[in-house]
Parts: sequence; structure tokens; C-alpha cells
Amino acid sequence: MTKRKPGAGGAEQGRPTGPRGPARWIRDLCLGARYAVAGGREGLLRTALTAVGVGLGVALLLLVASVPSALADRHARETARSVGVTGEFRDPAEPDARRGPDTLLYQEVRTDFHDKPVTGGLLAPDGPDAPRPPGVDRLPEPGEMVVSPALAALLASDRGALLRDRFAAYRTVGTIGHAGLVGPDELLYYAGSDRIGPATGAKRVDRFGYDEPDVPMSPVLVVLTVLACVVLLTPVAVFIGTSVRFGGAGRDRRLAALRLIGADLRMVRRIAAGEALTGAVLGLGVGAAVFLALREYARDLTIRDTGIFPSDVMPTPWMLALIVVAVPACAVGVTLFTLRGVAVEPLGVVRGTAPRRRRLWWRLLVPALGAVLLTPALGRASGRLPGMPGLPVDTWQVATGAALLLLGVTALLPWGVEAFVARLRGGPPSWQLAVRRLQLKSGPAARAVSGITVAVAGAIAVQMVFTGVRGEFDTSPEALATHSQLTGSYAVGSPRQVHDWVDRLRRTEGVRAASGHVERYVGKDGAPNTVTSVLVGDCATLAELADIGSCRDGDVFLGRSDDPGHADAFGPGTKVVAEPYTEGPARPYRWTVPESARVVRTRPGPTGEHPDGVLATPGAVDAAALPDARTRLSVRTEPGDPDAIERVRNTAAGIDPALRIDRRGGVVKDDNYPLVHRGLLLGAGGMLALIGAGLLVTTLEQLRERRRMLAALVAVGTPRRTLAWSVLWQTAIPVLLGMAIAVAGGLGLGWAVLRLTGARGADWWAFLPVAGAGVGLIGLVTLATLPVLLRMTRPEGLRTE
Amino acid sequence: MIPAGSLLSAVGLRKSYGPTRALDDADFSVHPGEVVAVMGPSGSGKSTLLHCLAGIVRPDAGTVTYDGHRLTDLPDAERSALRRGEFGFVFQFGQLVPELTCVENAALPLRLAGLRRKEAEAKALHWLERLDVADARDQRPGEVSGGQGQRVAVARALVTSPRVIFADEPTGALDSLNGERVMELLTAAARETRAAVVLVTHESRVAAYSDREVIVRDGTVRDMAGVL
Repeated sequence: MTKRKPGAGGAEQGRPTGPRGPARWIRDLCLGARYAVAGGREGLLRTALTAVGVGLGVALLLLVASVPSALADRHARETARSVGVTGEFRDPAEPDARRGPDTLLYQEVRTDFHDKPVTGGLLAPDGPDAPRPPGVDRLPEPGEMVVSPALAALLASDRGALLRDRFAAYRTVGTIGHAGLVGPDELLYYAGSDRIGPATGAKRVDRFGYDEPDVPMSPVLVVLTVLACVVLLTPVAVFIGTSVRFGGAGRDRRLAALRLIGADLRMVRRIAAGEALTGAVLGLGVGAAVFLALREYARDLTIRDTGIFPSDVMPTPWMLALIVVAVPACAVGVTLFTLRGVAVEPLGVVRGTAPRRRRLWWRLLVPALGAVLLTPALGRASGRLPGMPGLPVDTWQVATGAALLLLGVTALLPWGVEAFVARLRGGPPSWQLAVRRLQLKSGPAARAVSGITVAVAGAIAVQMVFTGVRGEFDTSPEALATHSQLTGSYAVGSPRQVHDWVDRLRRTEGVRAASGHVERYVGKDGAPNTVTSVLVGDCATLAELADIGSCRDGDVFLGRSDDPGHADAFGPGTKVVAEPYTEGPARPYRWTVPESARVVRTRPGPTGEHPDGVLATPGAVDAAALPDARTRLSVRTEPGDPDAIERVRNTAAGIDPALRIDRRGGVVKDDNYPLVHRGLLLGAGGMLALIGAGLLVTTLEQLRERRRMLAALVAVGTPRRTLAWSVLWQTAIPVLLGMAIAVAGGLGLGWAVLRLTGARGADWWAFLPVAGAGVGLIGLVTLATLPVLLRMTRPEGLRTE
Repeated sequence: MIPAGSLLSAVGLRKSYGPTRALDDADFSVHPGEVVAVMGPSGSGKSTLLHCLAGIVRPDAGTVTYDGHRLTDLPDAERSALRRGEFGFVFQFGQLVPELTCVENAALPLRLAGLRRKEAEAKALHWLERLDVADARDQRPGEVSGGQGQRVAVARALVTSPRVIFADEPTGALDSLNGERVMELLTAAARETRAAVVLVTHESRVAAYSDREVIVRDGTVRDMAGVL
């Protein structure tokens, strides 16, 4: 016999008993799920809004979670085709493979086409078993090449006509597959060659896939990246939290009805959880669909000049699992948390009547804790703290610190809004309506804008730090780069050959001037740190470099520009030595500046530089005996002919594919900076759109809830513009407050990071674009609500039948 | 034809909501100081008639004339101005702004008409006192009883000294005691100010406060004067 609870009425006898334990949970959750999808048009709309909101958040989460694996996949394919460094910058300590049937000679060659790099590998197999680069089915013979699909398309297009000339010596015999490409638009080719050898900088390899040490990211960049991630992810979390509250009032009324027919409080919470869970699970589906659609655009995003394969954009399984579990759990958590503030009673929902006074101390504690965590981490990043020079940054510490600091802004906002609006008085009816609404209930408004506040604060900080530290990574000012000044460098070349090459370059259409010489840095014998350049060329070449007057083979000149002190250390009789850069068969070249050497004034070359140093004719200095000497070419093209540079490159490729022509004075930057900057801008754009959508939905929901009252106000003669203004004020007051906190917080955080990292200067106006975008967003949201407001305020809203 | 001396009249009103015909050639008139009860079953078109008379809804056909002006020809802005200054409204529920205090709610039409806050609230307080809800002046609608809230709504309707008061089921959400109290105050104040009252109700008890009753059935209006 079942023991009855004391006080239970006799009516309980024979009453059907429901499931117990987990079965009861499942039953209630399923009931909630049914309410989510079977609540009529309004219910479906509410669930759809939640699903779309959560879905957008999930899509952004999936995209962010895909970044590490996308970069790892790229890196893996890049490593798989690597043979280490070839050419001028080879590490002399790295030995080549021993020649055998399974080896080949490989030389990397690079050119550019309209500022996009075209990378190539010249291959000369030593035997039938020579390794093949990834994605290549057959090694090309001399005169053949295999190309990436993007290069094939470019060569076949009208746009690539000039590039076709450069590859005229090769016949395309195949396409490089996905496994051999870093990105879908990469311009890559492998060509067979019988002209490469160790002298040209080629390297003998027995395999592809040399491990290249990762270049560690600058600690300052780590801090920036972590900040950017927090900036992006915090609003997503806020947005997901907001999304699961869509239609909260309707849900509470339904729960009250359930209480009326006997549901207890726990049951009601489980049902609410089931409803939220359904919206979140549907949101996961929507998010997956949006993610799959968005990742197709990855090929348009460029990282280091190359797009991303959409198939690379996929989160790691554990990241995916985390999102799949965390998002529904977050949805349920938020729902149960909001139910905490209301009493769902059989006769209706009673909100916590005694307004809880928001306390400041813990809201200040959160950002303070963040600052405490960030300070030593940032000190380490800059290496400014004593005893900790340049230590690697503790990513988790920075992430936690930055997150707490930014979340502190979110925590401060409701208090700030409440404290501010409590002091507002007077004003026209529209202002009064808005202010009273905020005074009564500022929480939803503050919550709605908290996401944008965090985002704006973070984006301002990152932008400020970014502009502050950026200058330190630029090695030469952009202003020096001119489109008409080109330089070329090549490993070999006798003065005679150089003369011929310069002649060919001069004859190229669009070239205004060209010069070239063999060059080598030499040190003073016995004082190796005192160096100058020895430039070897025939009399005609040297006459272009300086006012040499009469010249015969065997003459030497001491070239000086206006700087009289230059090259004084290398006067007549000076013994100079050129030590080989690498160990090997090359021997040091020793030579004495002859007494007959005359001081001459150098002329600026085609690129404006004075070729100061020792100018020698081939009869005086044997260029072929100078170890590691380089051929230096300078070209100036007609400024109004943008294709001239491509024609120069074509000529250079005809001389030798390894002769690379670059623009002079191109800015050398840390490659990661544009990456972080682009990521930040893209993320900020997506996040602002997300926040805008959330704000719009929240405002529309508020209007829907107040439809009857709005209609009544219009019925008694309230002008619609009064109501429109009240909606605007209602949105604008918390948003402007949020922006003020965000600007202050963002500038403060940015300033602190800059100060701690020791970077120069601070862009105090960095907040303008982001803050402007935020304010613009509010305007857009308000404008977007107006049509709905007008519809809601139609007198028809008074009808009940 | 417009009855002589009428303050507000309607002739041949037609109004449909989709396929549903709410008003079908309806005529109506009310004189200054007269209280007319509009009765009828749910869905008969009572509220639609009130909305058309008040210029809230534009009829599909027919004319509404107020004090010699054809209401149906006025643009929305002028009809709104008329509702603000000349008409007063009491609805069944959902009419008070929950964020504003009772005195602010009652003063709202005056504020909308451009009166300064203190002046508007002083006038509103006068009406709250007359309707015995001055104690609730600083409370919000959610903090007062239904009867008190409805009296605040009546105060709001009377504060502009309207010439016509439209009351749509003003006691629908109240118990009989509170309902009677509200009706007594409303009709007494209206008679005192010689305001006409159009009272939509389906309760005979409420209709008993009127001078005349009309019945709306299937969209047509039937005057009950002399029917008994």
C-alpha cells in the first residue's frame, strides 16, 4: 500500500500518477518543446525569432571557432610543400640532400603580377624517383609547367595577357591539386628546368614537407588578438542571451495558465527550459546553415595575399562539441535565471515588485579584477617589467583580464542607466514617456545595448592599440614607395652579362632608365666592421654611376656623393677583403685599392640612390672571384604606364626566372597586422549587424507588448510623432550612455595597453569610426521600428473581436 | 439626414473588416449633454460605431458630422487634434500608460495639448480629487485597484473639458460596486459640463445611466426611444 502524504485529501485516491524522475523531466521538456512549435502564429514567430537570433550567434561562433583550424590546415599544406629556404637567403648550416635517383634540384622563384605574388618552383629531377610536390601528378620536363587553377585562369584571361609573355617559355601540362595549394586563388606554378644548380641558389632535396619553424606571434599581437576575440565573442554571448528571452511575456502568461491547471513551480521551470531548449536547438540548425552559407565567402578573404578554401573553414571537433553543448545550456540557464525574477502564479505573472537596488561595488569589482590580471601580462608582453624581458604572454590570463574588463562595462551599464535616468525630470511628453519607462524598467534597455557597449569599448581599445603599435612594424615609410622605381637582384652575372641585361631592360617598352652592376660588400682587412660596397662594371656602366671622366679597363674610382666623409676609410692603398657568407668551396677575395684610384662624384641612379663605394672595372676586380656577389639592377619606368613594370618583369623572366623585380621602397610589415586588422573589421561589422538585429527585435517586441496601450494613446489624440520620439529617446538614452561608458572604457583600456607595451603615440580619435557606427546603428534601428510603430498605433489595435 | 441640434451625428455608415461587415448603413446622433447608450451583442459593431464617431477609424462609406464639420473629410492630424481637445475617452482596459503615475496619466492630454507640466498636473489633480482617487496620484496604474484605475481614466477623459465623451465598456473589467461608482461619477461630471456621452455597453445596468439607448445589431443601429 502506498503511504499517503499527511494532509493529502481523499480525492488523491485513484488519481492517475504521472511519470517520475527523469521520465518526468523528459515529459516536461517535451511539453515545452511542443509549446515552442505549436503555439499558433505568435508562438511560431517567437520560436523563429529565437532560432534566428541564436542561429546568428551560433554562426558567428562557428566562424570564430574555425579560424584556428583554417589557419592550421593552410599551414599544414604550406609545410607539406616546403623544402626550406632556397636562393639568396639559404641557411649555410643546412646541408643539401645527397644526389640520388630520388632527389631533385629545387629553386623557388617569385615574381609579382599587378602586386599579387606569383610563386614558382623550378624543378630539375636527378632520377626517376624524384619526389613530387603535393598536388602534382607528374614532374614537368624542362619547358613544361604545372599551374594552380587560379594561375591557369589568369593566363587564359585577357587580364593575364602580359603574364602570358612571362611564361611563354613554358607549356602548361597540368594543374596543381588542392593538396598543393594554400588558398583557392593562389598563383603557383612548378616548372621543369635544366638551368638551375647550386650556383643559382637551387637546393637538392629528397622530399617535400620540411618543417619550418613557426615565427612566433608578437606578444603585443597576441594581446590584440585575444582582445579582438573577447570583443567579438562577448556580444555574441549577450546576443544569444537576449534571443532566448524573445517573447518572454507571452511565455510567462502561458506558464501562468499551466499553473492554473495544476502545474507546480518546478514543472513550470522544466517546461520553460524545454521551450528555450527547442529554440536553441533550432538555432543550432539555423546557425549551421548560415555558417555553411557564409563560409563560401571565405575564398574572398585574403590572408597573406591568398584566399581561404571554404572547406578549411570548419571548427575542430571539440570546439564544435563545445558550441553544440554550451549554446543550449546557456539558453536554458538564461531562461531559468529570468524566471527567478518573476513569480508565475495561477492568476498571472507577478514580477518582483520591490525593485532591487543595483549595487555598484561588485560592478566595479569586475573591471578592477580584469585590470589586475591584465597589468602583469601586458608588462610581460612589452618586456618592461624588471626581470621579465619579453616573456611569452599567458594567453588565458590576458583573455580573462580583458573579458572581465569588458564585461565590467556590461555590469556597469545597468547601474549607470538606472542612476542616470533616476535624475531626469521634465521635458515634453515624448521625453516623459521614455524617461518614465526607463525609470520603471531600465533593465531590458540596458541589456539590449550592453552587447554594443562591450563591442564598442573593445573595438575602440583594439583600434587604438592597433594604430599605436602599427608604426613600429613598418620598416620604411610608405611615402618612399613609388610605382616607377624598381630594383632587381640576382645571384650571378658577369659585368658583360649585366651590361647586356641592362641593355635589354632599357629596350623594354615603358622603361625610362636602367642601370646594373655587380655588387659586393667588402670589409677593411683587419677591421671587418668597416665596410663599403665594391661595384664592378665596365667603363660605360661606371660612367652612368659617377662622373668618372676618362676610363680604361683596370681603372678604379672612389665614388662619393655630397657627403664628403663617405668612403674615406677606403682610400688608395686600403686592403679590403670579401669573406664568403657560407662555408664551402668559395675562398675569400683579397684586394688592395690601387694608388691610382680617383675620387669621383656619384650620380643618383634610376631609383635616386647614390652608388657610393669603390667603383671598379672588371680589369681591376675579378667579379667572378668575388664570393656571393650579387647583380643589382635598377630600373625607372614611365610613371603613367602601369603595365611597364609587368613588361620589365617579363624581360627579367626572359633573362632568368630567378631574377625578381620588385618595387623599390615597398613597406615591409608584420604580415600578421593586416590579418588582425581585417579580422577585427570583419568581426566588428558582423557583430554590429548582430547587435542591430537584436536591438531591433527587442524594440519590436516591446512595441508588440504595448500595442493596445499605444493604440489607446493614439485614440485619445496622441500624435504618432510623439510616440516615435518616445521610442527614439527610449533607445537613445541607454545607447548614448552605453557609448559614453564604452568610449571612456575603450580609450582607457587602449591607453593602458599602449602605455604598458611601450608603444609610441595614441590615436585619441580612434573611437570616432566605431562610435559613429554604433550611433548610426541606433538610428537605423529606430528607423526600422517606425513602420511597425505606425502599424501598432493604428486605431484597429483597439479592436478586441 | 442630420437631426436638428445634434452635436455629433452619423449618416449611412458602412465599415467592413475583410469579409466581415461591422457597420451597414448605420445612423446615429447625440445632443449636447445627452448620454446615449449603445448596446448590442458581442461582435455586433458597437465599438466600430464608436471608433467611427470618434474619428479613430475612417468609415468605408457615410459621413460623421461634429459641430457642423464633416469629420470623415478631415485629415488624420486634424482628427487627432479634435480627439485631443474636444473628445474624451474611457476604455475597458489597456488605456493608462503603466510607466506614468496616475496624475501624469490624467494630465497627459493637457501635456499633449501643450500645457506646462505643473499647470496640467494641477488640473488633473482637481479631477482626481473629484473622482476620489487623489490618494493614488503618485502611484502607477499597476499599483492601484481596477476601480481606481478606471476613475483615473475617467479623470483623464474629463481633464480637457471635452464636449463628447466616448466610453467603451468602461465598467467591463470592474465589479458591480466599482462599476456603479465609476458610472455615477462619469455621468454626473458629464451632465455638469454638458458633455455628450456615447456609452458602449452590453450591460442593461450600465445602460440605465443613459438618457437614451440604441441597439446595434448586424451593423445597423436601431433607436430604442419609444420602443417600450
